[in-house]
Amino acid sequence: MAIEGADLVKAAAYLGAGIAMGLGAIGPGVGEGITAAKACEAIGHNPNEAGLLTRTMLVGQAVAESTGIYSLVIALLLLFVV
Amino acid sequence: MDMSPETIVAMAAYSGAGICIGFGAIGAAVGEGYTAAEANVAVSRNTEISGDIFKNMLVGQAVAESASIFALVVAILLLFMDFHGAPLIKAAALTGSGLCMGLGALGSGIGSGIPGGQACFGIARQPAAMNRLTTNMLIGSAVCQTPAIFSMVVALLLLFLDFSAMPFQPGWAALIGAGLSTGLASIGSGYGGGTVAGASCEGVARQPLSVGPVTTTMLVGQAVAQTPAIFGLLISFILIFRTVPATESLAPAMALFSAGLCTGLGGIGPGVGNGEAGGGAVRWVARNSAMAADLMRVMLVGQAVSQSTAIYAMVISLVLIFVM
Amino acid sequence: MGELGRIHQLLVPVGGLRLAINLEVVVMTWIVILLLILFGLATSRRRSLVPRPIQVVGEILLAQFYGLTEDALGEDLAKKYAPMITALFIFLLFSNWLGIIPHLEEPTKDLNTTLSLGLMGFAVAHYVGIRSKGFKAYISEYFQPIFFMLPLNLIGEVSKIVSISFRLFGNIMGGSIIIMVVSYLCWNLLLPPFLNAFFGIFVGTVQAFVFTMLTVVYIAVQVK
Repeated sequence: MAIEGADLVKAAAYLGAGIAMGLGAIGPGVGEGITAAKACEAIGHNPNEAGLLTRTMLVGQAVAESTGIYSLVIALLLLFVV
Repeated sequence: MDMSPETIVAMAAYSGAGICIGFGAIGAAVGEGYTAAEANVAVSRNTEISGDIFKNMLVGQAVAESASIFALVVAILLLFMDFHGAPLIKAAALTGSGLCMGLGALGSGIGSGIPGGQACFGIARQPAAMNRLTTNMLIGSAVCQTPAIFSMVVALLLLFLDFSAMPFQPGWAALIGAGLSTGLASIGSGYGGGTVAGASCEGVARQPLSVGPVTTTMLVGQAVAQTPAIFGLLISFILIFRTVPATESLAPAMALFSAGLCTGLGGIGPGVGNGEAGGGAVRWVARNSAMAADLMRVMLVGQAVSQSTAIYAMVISLVLIFVM
Repeated sequence: MGELGRIHQLLVPVGGLRLAINLEVVVMTWIVILLLILFGLATSRRRSLVPRPIQVVGEILLAQFYGLTEDALGEDLAKKYAPMITALFIFLLFSNWLGIIPHLEEPTKDLNTTLSLGLMGFAVAHYVGIRSKGFKAYISEYFQPIFFMLPLNLIGEVSKIVSISFRLFGNIMGGSIIIMVVSYLCWNLLLPPFLNAFFGIFVGTVQAFVFTMLTVVYIAVQVK
């Protein structure tokens, strides 16, 4: 079994893509979950503002998700460009 | 040194058994320790019902133990398996099996200790609600075990299926990847399910009359928190059952291994996060059960959004499996 | 176990390309549509002030989803879009429940179904967004907070379709695979009915609701 340099580079790129997206998914998942938990708490305190609080939660989660999207972009770059 | 395939398979089986029970013992031990710690605090608060608290602690610990018992079963099966004339690929399958069950028992073990502890503390606070608390604890920690059961299903398939038709070169990576995918993804879901169940025991202790909506919200929250583990299972099954062409090069094998790793790692965070979200909702449903429908809606939307990174990880895995 | 991942396809040659049609999914989708028509007829035929049980079911469903849509979108848009949202939910519900009947399969097990429903929600959300904000304001949102965030904003929008449709697909597909594998491991004894109840009815309902709510939320985010 002869493993060549190009093959090795490709294998590393695939592994890198998997690790990038896998580890990159951890942070946003936990963070957005905490956001949702606090949103539930806030709605429990002040039920009348449920609409506003839900919107705030969604915007906050969208921002927290951006690091996940960076990971996705890097993973796709590793898969298709490099 | 000359090694026959049988020797390598035996080595894989024994190291797999070690990994399996080694990792698998961590979770349940931490979970049971948490239960015992909370039980101690509870007894100090309310010494009169120490017998009831003690009983509840033992029941809670027994349920939390089951995750590591699954790991023990798989480890024993690995030790006493008959691998006479097994092909080399079986070594990868057995390593994957051990990894899957060991990692998979980690989250469920820690998670199912949380409701036990919260229930003990709740009994000290509200002795009258003891029956409701124990029932709630049992339901919650039983559902917590689901990710560990998923891991056991994958581990048993890797143990007993016949892989002799699978070519070794990409095959080894697919089988180890299949084990890692379900095993790692179960960590988050198991722990998350425990967070939800713990919050529900806390809520029932605070407001015993709201047990109906609290249990419903808990079950829905736990079911959604299991989604990352289900994604891990999906990728595992694709990796196990997809026929792959034999190859000489490393890249296709690494793509399959990386696919398993990606969905597995990607499932940890969303699982924990979904648990947090579910716990938050359940806690406030208990205080204000008139808001149950609204809170469940916000919880579902919040959980769904925090799952999206697990879904990106699954998409990258599918691309790695089917496109690369 | 042999049937795992086998798909019956009809290949239609169209000018050099081959269109692949997954036959089972089409048949199952039509079964769901027939069931929906029957449900619609049963709930709306012979209406009366003192409703029969089936009419109550229909009215509760409609009232609930009208309320949900109104909370998120406001009264004007709710009048327009609540029927679509309710129809989406009932379609998904019936689709996810179809698998508990032996020999039938969930249409949502196929990525084509969920992806097309996701695309539909996406298209509706952006149409509503352009209608309510005007084209200029709609476009300028993609350049927030600074102009070079455009590619990331675009990827963020497209990944919404991916996440909504893969979530439903993964859950339903994963559930049906677990049922199949566990039935195989324990020779169809005892466990499968409970698994069917859990994955078919419970998870099916929750995921149908999540999909519907997310579609509403995507529309609501565009309107703001």
